[in-house]
Amino acid sequence: MTDPILALTGVTKSFGPIEILHGVDFALHPGEVHALIGENGAGKSTTMKILAGYLDPTGGQVTWQGKPMSFSGSEQAEDLGIIMIHQEFNLAEHLSVDQNVFLGRELRRGFLLDHKAMRAQTADLLGQLQCRVDPATPVNRISVPDKQMVEIAKALSRKARVLIMDEPTAVLTERETEVLFAQIERLRAEGVAILYTSHKLGEVKRIADRVTVLRDGTMVRSDLTADVSEDDMAAAMVGRELSDLFPPKPAHGAEPILEAQGITVPGVVHDASLTLHRGEVLGIGGLVGSGRTELAEAIAGLRPRSGTVRLKGQDLPANHVATAMRAGLVYLTEDRKGAGLLLDKTLRENLTLGQLDRFGSPLIDRKREEAALDSAIADFAIRAPERGMAVGDLSGGNQQKLLLAKTLLSDPQVVIIDEPTRGIDIGTKQQIYALIARLAAEGRSIIVISSEMPELIGLASRVVVMHAGRIVGELADAAVTEGNIVRLAMGLDGHEKDSAA
Amino acid sequence: MSMATTAPTRRPRVNLAVIAPIVALIVLILIGMALNPNFLSYANITNVLARSAFIGIIAIGMTFVITAGGLDLSVGSMAAFVAGLMILVMNMLTESMGGGLPVILIGIALALFTGLAAGFVNGILITRAGIEAFILTLGTMGIYRSLVTWLADGGTLSLGYEMRELYRPVYYDGILGISWPIIVFAVLAILGEIVMRHTAFGRHCAAIGSNEKVARYSSVAVLRVRLMTYVLLGTLVGIAVVMYVPRLGSASATTGLLWELEAIAAVIIGGTLLKGGFGRVWGTVVGVLILSLIGNLLNLTDFVSPYLNGAIQGVVIILAVVLQRNTGAAR
Amino acid sequence: MKKILIATTALMGLTAVPALSETIGISIPAATHGWAGALNFHAERTVERLSEANPDLEFVLTTTSDPGQQVSDLEDMVATRGIDALVVLPFESEPLTGPIQRIADSGVWVTVVDRGLAQEGIENLYVAGDNDSFGRTAGQYFADTLDEGAKVVVMRGIASTVDNERVAGFEAALEGSGVEVVAMDHGNWNRDTAFNLMQDWLSRFPEIDAVWAADDDMAVGALAAIDQAGRTEEMFVVGGAGMKEMVDRIRNSDPTVPVNVTYPPSMISTAIEMTALGLTSGAPMSGEFIIASELITPENAEDFYFEDSPY
Repeated sequence: MTDPILALTGVTKSFGPIEILHGVDFALHPGEVHALIGENGAGKSTTMKILAGYLDPTGGQVTWQGKPMSFSGSEQAEDLGIIMIHQEFNLAEHLSVDQNVFLGRELRRGFLLDHKAMRAQTADLLGQLQCRVDPATPVNRISVPDKQMVEIAKALSRKARVLIMDEPTAVLTERETEVLFAQIERLRAEGVAILYTSHKLGEVKRIADRVTVLRDGTMVRSDLTADVSEDDMAAAMVGRELSDLFPPKPAHGAEPILEAQGITVPGVVHDASLTLHRGEVLGIGGLVGSGRTELAEAIAGLRPRSGTVRLKGQDLPANHVATAMRAGLVYLTEDRKGAGLLLDKTLRENLTLGQLDRFGSPLIDRKREEAALDSAIADFAIRAPERGMAVGDLSGGNQQKLLLAKTLLSDPQVVIIDEPTRGIDIGTKQQIYALIARLAAEGRSIIVISSEMPELIGLASRVVVMHAGRIVGELADAAVTEGNIVRLAMGLDGHEKDSAA
Repeated sequence: MSMATTAPTRRPRVNLAVIAPIVALIVLILIGMALNPNFLSYANITNVLARSAFIGIIAIGMTFVITAGGLDLSVGSMAAFVAGLMILVMNMLTESMGGGLPVILIGIALALFTGLAAGFVNGILITRAGIEAFILTLGTMGIYRSLVTWLADGGTLSLGYEMRELYRPVYYDGILGISWPIIVFAVLAILGEIVMRHTAFGRHCAAIGSNEKVARYSSVAVLRVRLMTYVLLGTLVGIAVVMYVPRLGSASATTGLLWELEAIAAVIIGGTLLKGGFGRVWGTVVGVLILSLIGNLLNLTDFVSPYLNGAIQGVVIILAVVLQRNTGAAR
Repeated sequence: MKKILIATTALMGLTAVPALSETIGISIPAATHGWAGALNFHAERTVERLSEANPDLEFVLTTTSDPGQQVSDLEDMVATRGIDALVVLPFESEPLTGPIQRIADSGVWVTVVDRGLAQEGIENLYVAGDNDSFGRTAGQYFADTLDEGAKVVVMRGIASTVDNERVAGFEAALEGSGVEVVAMDHGNWNRDTAFNLMQDWLSRFPEIDAVWAADDDMAVGALAAIDQAGRTEEMFVVGGAGMKEMVDRIRNSDPTVPVNVTYPPSMISTAIEMTALGLTSGAPMSGEFIIASELITPENAEDFYFEDSPY
């Protein structure tokens, strides 16, 4: 076997007082596909960002071609041929596809840009990826999978020696995934070192030569893919029995609380209906971009929609979130930083923002606000070094707990929680799972939307699965298994075709 | 990339950002005392405060608009238009009704209503038609300016002599030696600070300016609050005009020229963030006083060539803002 | 009164001459202050009057608020309206000299009003007020009435050639009189600015004997501030340009406003009339026509009071 081209030895990384990575060893070899797997928040993204020069390690050593290396930034890493494809796209939305592909390395003829050559080369690259997008189209007008393909084209256009791919297939269809795999095989044959992450263990088994498992910032095992089964991988990722993590599911009543009929959000959700009972935890599964979030936002009055939403027999109007909230239905966003919390404001201001009329009128009673914050800190075990600090300085887990406290402040009957544990550590996860079970036991009804299969399986007694904007199936009790959810999510069992994507 | 931004960078708690405008104000006062013994005279202090009142009253409203992430460039022209219309109508009424107090009361009501309506038009077009505030108010700025020029036939609209004498005390008189504009300005400033700091409306303005999406997801009526900030500003423009007209009893195409920029500058000097999310009314009051004092000081001395007045103002504005940014309120 | 004579001749000429379709372009600054407003008023009235008297005469009137726009306006006039004559009050001398020269070269009759071009000999006719005389007349009055050692404050307009010429004339007239100018600053031809400036000067100087405001708009602001301070008895104020209100106070022998200095906005009428006459009659109308500033006193104030002027 060849020597590693890029490696980490004993790398640690801390953000403030919290250490995220604890001594990670990891090596990428030319001509090898190395899969890095782990649960959300296990430290995969941080590891990749250190490899690609976006972050500096707090301790340990980065080695490039056998020599110690300290990147001045991602630009330097990129110059060396270390290319990272981000999960959140790094594309300039208003520029055209070819302008994005050549951003920062535009081809020139004399002083002028050589548009013709850039366009031709981009068309060529996209052709290799069997992507039929016109290079002249602005990026904000192409679909999410096409954006992923443009990102990949951009990476291919640079002479990559190390290619780091962060869940590239999360938004791709199976056919597109096949095209991508063909390109990966080609690059591997050319001697490129490839780091590949995915939650789809089947893919890992198929494409990777070597697999490394991260759990809670620690490397738990690293083997040749041929030597480990998918079950081994899953067990190594979770590290404990699911029953440890999830509290027992409470029994729920048969009384329907929330009935959504024929919900349609043009272009994203088509004719979706669901019913939620008192004390029930209902899961919504499906791939990112399948319309789960949009359906939840439509129900919660955050989007224009057609179709009816009835809460305890009361019709809720479309696109009027205040009415839904007053009626007792709240939505906890997946986008904590973009839509959930005001990062530059204090805990108190965030906590009471949606419920200010309950804290005195016309003047806000500061004492009652402080009291509410006291009980929120106690009830949700929020750890904040200072009460007056900006929420943006809290850790992700504490932000999520504050967001939960804020959302539950109105004492709702129905809570829709979108990605309850995205980007937070395992300990906090467990607290949040316990909280969800407690809410259900109190007779509240919960909808949990999650990309993490164990979460859906561990929390929900019933799961509806979405694919391409439609609800394609419903699973209950023993039928709630990873295999069943994935099949439905991929549109395999359902009565739905791919074209709607 | 989000990870990189979560790295906690401790910002100093006792920051100069809070006190920088006050420090600047005190420095200006000390300079004034050193340069001219009349600076602290009753007459001079009263003059400066009273002349600050118009822009000050408007700047209070501007604080809310900017805090909620908006902007209004039309206030100067709006003030001129409201003043022009008020004078025109009062002159007409004097002819038909024979003058007297009722005419003044109708004039005041008209000014308040016109200001409110003009603010409403700005607000409704920004929130419902979704036009960028900068462009929209740039447009209405031109419209109001042309309207007042048209109303005045290119010249000056002057309040009839009799009405002017009757209305005059609203600017020049007061109680306990404090003139009305100062009293009104002070009362509005205190109310504004309370509204900004202690009511749901103020909190909602800051939330919208900080992150509109978060506010919407928190069931804040974003569009209504935004609209209300413009209506509030328009009404305050009306109040400023009610105080302004009795001073010279006239309005022309040059009335209120650049008031919008002075108001915005005062708001920013006071520590409100131009991009929204945080605002303080007391800071705005300090900002207005700083701007007025600079002009006053330059008139009271031969310290610099009058050609350089604008430069001195520019330097002080930049210094005041730099002081705040450097001490950590970068967000 | 030479002006009025000319205007009358112009009218007679127009009605006498046989019909010939001619277009006159007029480009003047927008009505952004009182004097310019009056300028617009007079221009519009003259155009109306001449159009009625001679239906074959066409007028294109544009108003602009900056030099760049004025250049565009002139280009449009030549290109789309095919003007035969141009009456222009240049917003600024330098930037407009080139464009106006090109128009003159193309054979169009050019009348320049008030603000001279940067090069001589371009225009066929030049009609202007006399800024030096405007300042000198006021200065002469100060020198004549005030005692030696009297203290005077001076409110200037917007920094410009016009303003410099006026102030130079004023200072020249004061020379040797022993009258002291204690402060001089820009009131920008604006009432509010002048009010604030005067307030501050009143705080600063315990003694002020007279105020020269180089424009009546500023005089209005200054008078209000003096009135507020209760120092009306102490000083007099001389403005300029003959605003209705000021002339009214003069004819009522108000001691605070003893005199005024003319700078008639009606010069635009003179310019338009002379141009029209030159076009239609072929009478020799070229050359310079300078309207000197006159002192308005209680004795002659009646002659300068125009009831329906907006200024």
